[in-house]
Amino acid sequence: MKTNFNNAPLAISQKTYRWLLRAYPKMHREEYGSAMAQLFRDQCRDAWNEAQGWGIMKLWLRVLPDLVSTSIRERLAALNERKTMNDKLTSLTRDRTTPTAIFINVFVAVFLITLIVATAITFILPESYASTARIKVESDPIDGPAQTPSYDPYFIQTTFEITQSQLVLNPVIDKLKLNVEWGKKYFAGQTLKTSQTLELLKQRLQLAPVRNTKLIAITVYSDDKNEAAQIANAIAEAYRDYRVRFRAESAAKEIDTLQQQYKFEEEQIQQVQSDLEFLRQQLKIASDATASRAPQEQPYWDKKHNLSQLLKLQELIYSKIEALKLDAQLPKNAAVQIVDRAEPGRAPVKPNKTLNIFLGVVAGGFLGLLAGGTSALAAFKFGNRGRKNVASA
Amino acid sequence: MANPKTGPKSLLPLTPAVFHVLLALAGGERHGYAIMQEVAAGTDGQIKMGPGTLYGTVKRLLEARLIEESDERPDPHLDDDRRRYYRLTGVGEQVVKAEARRYAEIVELARGKKLIRKPA
Repeated sequence: MKTNFNNAPLAISQKTYRWLLRAYPKMHREEYGSAMAQLFRDQCRDAWNEAQGWGIMKLWLRVLPDLVSTSIRERLAALNERKTMNDKLTSLTRDRTTPTAIFINVFVAVFLITLIVATAITFILPESYASTARIKVESDPIDGPAQTPSYDPYFIQTTFEITQSQLVLNPVIDKLKLNVEWGKKYFAGQTLKTSQTLELLKQRLQLAPVRNTKLIAITVYSDDKNEAAQIANAIAEAYRDYRVRFRAESAAKEIDTLQQQYKFEEEQIQQVQSDLEFLRQQLKIASDATASRAPQEQPYWDKKHNLSQLLKLQELIYSKIEALKLDAQLPKNAAVQIVDRAEPGRAPVKPNKTLNIFLGVVAGGFLGLLAGGTSALAAFKFGNRGRKNVASA
Repeated sequence: MANPKTGPKSLLPLTPAVFHVLLALAGGERHGYAIMQEVAAGTDGQIKMGPGTLYGTVKRLLEARLIEESDERPDPHLDDDRRRYYRLTGVGEQVVKAEARRYAEIVELARGKKLIRKPA
């Protein structure tokens, strides 16, 4: 994926590297400085094409130790060269080449280099904003929509999984046209597949329960603060829609099942009524008879009792169907309530500039001590050798 | 760097950086970026030389006269004429060959001890 090379992170990196070349001795810099800067520019271009900001950061992590170690080596080589010429006597009295002076110079150089690089990387890294929408969720009743909700120990975990599923996120991708928008933004205009966008979206999504409440925080990270808020709100709405749809579909299925049951009961009732009429005529029982219970009439009364039971059951089914129909007409938004809508963040949450610069100071101090100590030790060794040579001359 | 007049073997063994740069230049003259790419390609990306290491090595190789700067340029339409090209000297070629032979002998020794097998 080729990218426009004239961008800020690359320009800052190259400028910083050119400045850092001052760590090398002047002669080395004059001879190879421009070639090194050109090579770094080529490496920057490759790193950017490979992984944008992350590639540049990896390049710096590789180049910085290289720069520190080779600049120390070149400085020591230059120092040694100078000593071997005819400067040994004066070197004994020159403060700039004493181990202490070298320690201070190297320490300051390494400390500044590390700090500058840490700061540069912090400002090169893409900024990320976070926006959070909060929703209140109620579990669905296990025995059907008409029942009251019951306790479900897996409810929150199930909600998290559903919120991150295609059922909820695909409508968000469609609504915000993320396949096209992210294709333009990150993949040189190439429209993404929904599965690719889904993976990217999941990476930017964080769900967390709000302790001791029924609230869930939906946090979305993006380099665009408005986009982060839009996506977080869209996910909250998509989850609410999913729950409404789910409850409506469940109610419809239940009504359908009960209606079939009602029909079946009705057929049975008709059959029993017909049998009852046949028995009544056969046994010559008056249609309004209630008291006479001669033994030969028992089958008739048993059948009548059976009919009464069936009628009661049918009435119960009818009541349930009516209750479900009524429930289906009521708004279902109560199951999921968007408590707080996401707002665009005021400041980026990543990178943490203060922390990064602080780490730069700590790492710079440590590396400075290490490099300064090594250089001073080496200078002390070379200095002693030089003094011996001078003494023997 | 030792004096090349004492013979190529006096310079051995070479450091990995020096050997890889000489190997890269054994394929013809190259500029710094091309050397770096050749080294990275030849080592499956395991060795990615930074500018400091590369030009420090180049400097020492120039001082030891194992390589020299080339005045010739490829087609200027195809390349940036500000780039500096380097090529092996005769001594440099002898040294890299001697080092390659040394590696080959080590490989043979390892094969003799059945540490590695001959490629199929």
